[in-house]
Amino acid sequence: MISKNNSPFYLVLKRELIRMTSRKLYLGICIVLPLFCIFFMATIFGTGQMENIPIGIIDLDQTSTSRNISRTVSTVPTFKVTKHYTDIESARKATQQTKIYGYLVIPNNFEADVMAGRQATLSYYYHYALLSVGTEIYGAFESLLEPLSMTPIVTEAMALGISENQITNVLVPVNTQTHPLYNSGLDYSIYLTNPFFFILFQVIILLVTVYIVGSEIKFRTATQWLETANMNMFTAIVGKLLPYTVIFCIIGIFANYILFGVMDIPFSCGFLPLNITTIIFIIATQAFGVFLFSLFPAIGIVISVVSMVGSLGATLSGITFPVPFMYSAVYYCSFLFPVRHFVEINQNLLYGNYGFAYTWQNVSALFIFPLVALLMLPHLKNAILSHKYEDIE
Amino acid sequence: MKILNNMKSNLKDIAELISREFRTIATSYSILLVLIGGIFIYGLLYNYMYQPNVIRNAPVVVVDKSNSSLSREYTRLIDAAPQVTVYSNEVDFIAAKELMKRNEVVGIVYIPKDFDTRVKRGEESIFITYGVTEAFLYYSALQEASSGAMLELDGRHRADMVVFLPANDVQQIAQSSPITISENILYNHTEGYGNYLIPAVLMVIIFQTLFMVIGMISGKERESRSIRLFAEKGTSLSRVSRIIISKTFVYCILYAVFCLFLLGLLPVIFDLPNLGNVYEIVMLLTPYLLSISFLGLSASIFFTDSETPILMIAFFSVGLVFLSGISYPLELMPWYWQAAHYVIPAAPGTLAFVKLNCMGASLADIQTEYITLWIQCGVYFILACLTYQYNIKKAIRSTDLIKNANHDYNN
Repeated sequence: MISKNNSPFYLVLKRELIRMTSRKLYLGICIVLPLFCIFFMATIFGTGQMENIPIGIIDLDQTSTSRNISRTVSTVPTFKVTKHYTDIESARKATQQTKIYGYLVIPNNFEADVMAGRQATLSYYYHYALLSVGTEIYGAFESLLEPLSMTPIVTEAMALGISENQITNVLVPVNTQTHPLYNSGLDYSIYLTNPFFFILFQVIILLVTVYIVGSEIKFRTATQWLETANMNMFTAIVGKLLPYTVIFCIIGIFANYILFGVMDIPFSCGFLPLNITTIIFIIATQAFGVFLFSLFPAIGIVISVVSMVGSLGATLSGITFPVPFMYSAVYYCSFLFPVRHFVEINQNLLYGNYGFAYTWQNVSALFIFPLVALLMLPHLKNAILSHKYEDIE
Repeated sequence: MKILNNMKSNLKDIAELISREFRTIATSYSILLVLIGGIFIYGLLYNYMYQPNVIRNAPVVVVDKSNSSLSREYTRLIDAAPQVTVYSNEVDFIAAKELMKRNEVVGIVYIPKDFDTRVKRGEESIFITYGVTEAFLYYSALQEASSGAMLELDGRHRADMVVFLPANDVQQIAQSSPITISENILYNHTEGYGNYLIPAVLMVIIFQTLFMVIGMISGKERESRSIRLFAEKGTSLSRVSRIIISKTFVYCILYAVFCLFLLGLLPVIFDLPNLGNVYEIVMLLTPYLLSISFLGLSASIFFTDSETPILMIAFFSVGLVFLSGISYPLELMPWYWQAAHYVIPAAPGTLAFVKLNCMGASLADIQTEYITLWIQCGVYFILACLTYQYNIKKAIRSTDLIKNANHDYNN
């Protein structure tokens, strides 16, 4: 008769708790590193707004009109005019040194040309070598200078007694209003903090899972581990992973609280669906780790493979460059990563909470990962008992 | 003569240490796997994944309430933009929202009922664009397409609008010309995402793999206690510095070849930006590899077996890209991350490489990063020596303890 306290599951769990607390390493990788990730992702973007980007102005005209334009440029929140250069060459140099990220050139005789109705040109320069900054500068310059280009005509018309409204309607008959949905301020911390924390986190989860299972084989304690579990691989693996599942879930929920509660990142659903998604994601990731490890249960080899697989998650989650626009082979491979499904579900929840009807495929996919890992368990058990993988390094 | 002998024995010592290090690397599957997988497979894979480079033909849906020739002309213009393609223009707003929820379109262009009539009355007509922000690239694709189409449409219909101005004034107004706005992209004018990200990723790959390999080697030494073998010729600082120099020599030789592949060959194969002067890139890589090696050897104080380094290092690859200031400007980060930028070689190294290679800067333009890397070399070299001395002594002490304990036990 097996009492509750002597059930194999309980014994494996107890054994694991003792192993966990016996090494400082576990504290470091299970708690300190994830907390560091939360802190890093929450603070790295500063305010999250790309504001006060250093730019330069080259005013070769030095008239009241050109100074007026300079002043207007410096009022744009995106820009911070750090320096007025006297020639284009030195501004280009400063751009190469990333002291500034772009510059505006007001040419010689600009005012005189405008007054006389001759062709006058305002040139702005920026670069896409640092793409995200370049996009911001381009957007800010365009929205500032496009209306400015019409001012000579508007001034002329107004002098003739035509109202400003009337002349702008003639010049710009069709206009646009653009609305970014959900992240209306195009805020970088809203955009990246939440997904990237979980991208870093899933690498940690994968590696920890591989390490804790693999270290049993490496330190030749795996047979003892299986015996504690009464030779039942399922009991052994669940009892072993459960403490980590609990720790990771607590950290995941804490991260959700920090990101959405403290940092006030907007979200359309309640905390409950977010946290449930996080828990399912953590379990799926652990299962993915078990699956990868079972393929070739030699820790030295597989842990470096898993670290690479984990880092691929950053690309294949589709946060930075949308996956549907990559090659189709890459696009279909992305579905093999739990983090891709997690990001899809989370974006749905955050952006509008459209409902389960739009995410059931992703949720089901996350549930498939544990099943696939289960299929590999007999192989893992054989591998442990064969002692073949202990010395592969 | 004595000095010469001394030098000779030192060099012999270094040569032995070097061959031992080469043997360690060549006989470990896991280290070879990190090198081959991390450098060759990852290098190729990343390039392949980002090869599409730009967003083309992102699907948008047009809700055309106006149903006029003007609105259809506008739809055609949007469809003609390379960034987007019109998925459909026959749906109402509710169906359009449904398409967006199902991720089938990345934006909605709403053309109101009076779009055409307002223009014909001489009033300003407005259309509304809604874009998803799941990926900023989607949003900027939609924005560029819709504003480009708007400018074109305005240009085409401006002449028709002149009838709304007093006939006498038209002549005079037409004489003033608008200011030309000229937009100039200096570097990466393809606007490619891969062209922007890959050079930085390659530098981070160099850092991460080298850091991991060093951690694995020194972790292995401590785990198997083979680190004690270094003590056979004493643990003086000069001897330890010879160990550090020999190890670093091996890493730099190996990585010279890998850098040739990553930074020399891959840009040619995949058409990455390649503006840098080879000599200057080598000048940058010298302190970069040295400082990574020294940092890795200093960090060995934390690594007690050959797997922990991977656990502690691998997760942060993405963080290093952020920290380098490539994706988000350094100036906008809080001060402590700006400070961290100067502590980890990957951050200034990556930024300096992007400046050299993608923006055609010269060594003078990367002055700050270059000096930072050399200072890191100095500091981390001293730290590495001290760490190794400490680790060797600790390993000896713990074996002595075991020996003594056994001795006492036997007595």
